[in-house]
Amino acid sequence: MTAATQDVLITADDVWAGYIPGVSILNGCSLEVKKGELIGIIGPNGAGKSTFLKALFGLVPVTEGKFVLDGDDITNLRADQLVKRGIGFVPQTNNVFPSLTILENLEMGAYQRPQAFKERLDVIGDLFPVLIERKNQRAGSLSGGERQMVAMARALMMDPKVLLLDEPSAGLSPARQDETFVRTRDINKHGVTVIMVEQNARRCLQICDRGYVLDQGTAAYTATGQELLKDPKVIELYLGTLGA
Amino acid sequence: MFTRPDRRFYRAAALLLVAAAAFVIATLVIGGGPADAETVEPVAAGTSTATLVIQNVINGLAFGVLLALAAVGLSLIFGTTGLSNFAHGEQVTFGALLTFFLSTNEQVTIPLVPGSFTIGLPLWLAAIIAVIVSGGTGWLQDKLLWNPLRKRRVAVLQQMVVSIGLSLALLNMLQWWMGASRHRLTNASGGRITFGDFYIGTQTLMSVVIASIALLAVALFLLKTRLGRATRAISDNPALAAASGIRVDSIIRLVWVMSAALAGLGGILLALFDNGAGFDSGARILLLMFAAVTLGGLGQAFGALVGALVVGVVSEVSTVVIAPDMRYASALGILIIVLLVRPQGILGTKERVG
Ligand SMILES: Nc1ncnc2c1ncn2[C@@H]1O[C@H](COP(=O)(O)OP(=O)(O)OP(=O)(O)O)[C@@H](O)[C@H]1O
Ligand SMILES: [Mg+2]
Repeated sequence: MTAATQDVLITADDVWAGYIPGVSILNGCSLEVKKGELIGIIGPNGAGKSTFLKALFGLVPVTEGKFVLDGDDITNLRADQLVKRGIGFVPQTNNVFPSLTILENLEMGAYQRPQAFKERLDVIGDLFPVLIERKNQRAGSLSGGERQMVAMARALMMDPKVLLLDEPSAGLSPARQDETFVRTRDINKHGVTVIMVEQNARRCLQICDRGYVLDQGTAAYTATGQELLKDPKVIELYLGTLGA
Repeated sequence: MFTRPDRRFYRAAALLLVAAAAFVIATLVIGGGPADAETVEPVAAGTSTATLVIQNVINGLAFGVLLALAAVGLSLIFGTTGLSNFAHGEQVTFGALLTFFLSTNEQVTIPLVPGSFTIGLPLWLAAIIAVIVSGGTGWLQDKLLWNPLRKRRVAVLQQMVVSIGLSLALLNMLQWWMGASRHRLTNASGGRITFGDFYIGTQTLMSVVIASIALLAVALFLLKTRLGRATRAISDNPALAAASGIRVDSIIRLVWVMSAALAGLGGILLALFDNGAGFDSGARILLLMFAAVTLGGLGQAFGALVGALVVGVVSEVSTVVIAPDMRYASALGILIIVLLVRPQGILGTKERVG
């Protein structure tokens, strides 16, 4: 690898993927994430944003193209192998174990490193003190926002290099949304590379280093968050005409 | 899906108690007066209905605990893979017949192998070997059959049809191996322990104690060990379990081993309780096991226990008023009634939406 590509952490190289054989949802999607970046992915409903994260995480089979992490081909690896390589994933829906307690959810997050559980629990406890206070409550009895917290905390238990977030602000009150974005930025500042899919395009583009617009299964274009915020097409399609 | 025994557990237990009490009282009222000696075996004619009912509750609880042990694997497999395994009954039979095969002093044969012989191991050793071999059959069938089907993303409905076919094939193989007659694991009558008007057979008591210990061990495994919690996590959400770094397939393999071993042990203990086992012993109680698991709440490990106790008590107590041959029908009747009142089963939770 040349010096220029050295700080690239993840590349998606012309990735085709889908749920059913013969029907591809990602149609030659390519993108690149550098170490330490916070990447925002926006796009219309059904564009394949969630599918992209799932394909990267080995939950949707990739039929063509490849994902590269740190120079290693990670295409179609099992999810547990990707966790071992330092990827954490927070799905858009069903992202907690409802019948397990908060503490048990976090324990599952650290499943591969039980010896580090205590230590990580302290770190996570600083980020989400409320989760520790209520650690014996069943996750199924939590509100949507509280579940999002459990989900993110669970994914952070392994101290991942890369965190994949699928609409972490969905369904939250404006104040809670803000909290989520600030926290995400915070996690990113602590050295975790973040790829975040968001419907709240404005807030997402405000905090991210770079954004990708995904449409019909391909990464249509990319620019810095600030540039995309000023892009007329993005304004018209994703931010509404009032934004600027 | 496997929840801790929290508030809901006690509520369900209370519900169960009330239902059982109502049932018993109803039986007393309907039954009235001295019982018909023909409908029950060992109690002398002229015994009051109350005594009879209580004796049947005792028998029912014993049967329920053993049924729970046989059924808990069914529940574990359903919870982690979504499969309703119709071949589970043969797993139960296999444990009992293999124990007989290893321990009997009669001549035994193996199909296609010429000659007959006796192995004649002590019963306890035969039982231990049978449980281990049963576990091995679980490992083998997941390796050769269920795991490949899951890998190819065959839907659970199709998998269920496969399990029905497997059940029939195994049933015939068991008959080929052991013939159609019933086999007794032990000829010792064992005696009984009496307390006042009531009694329990020593063999039955032993079986119940062993089954209770095994069930307790399963509960502790699910609640107190990391592997057990991972099993519950998979029951909740296999994709998220994989995303958390859990090797879902190896834990499901383990669940198959455990389920088959527990079914085998259940079969052995039921054969002691029932004074013998035939090639279709498991098939006969398959529906009762499904009823127990459904009644308790599908996929709830503790549901299998609660459901099995209800099924056991109801089917035994019902013999006071209806013909003993009909006892299992009354258990299935209770299943329908409970599901009408609590569609999610006794311990089941309604999925929270949103
Ligand atoms: N499990 C699935 N099985 C089959 N098709 C699916 C599945 N999940 C998603 N799809 C299809 O893939 C396409 C892309 O879905 P995806 O969830 O990736 O969209 P998205 O960009 O995340 O949308 P949203 O903003 O609504 O979350 C949709 O057309 C959807 O119908
Ligand atoms: Mg999505």
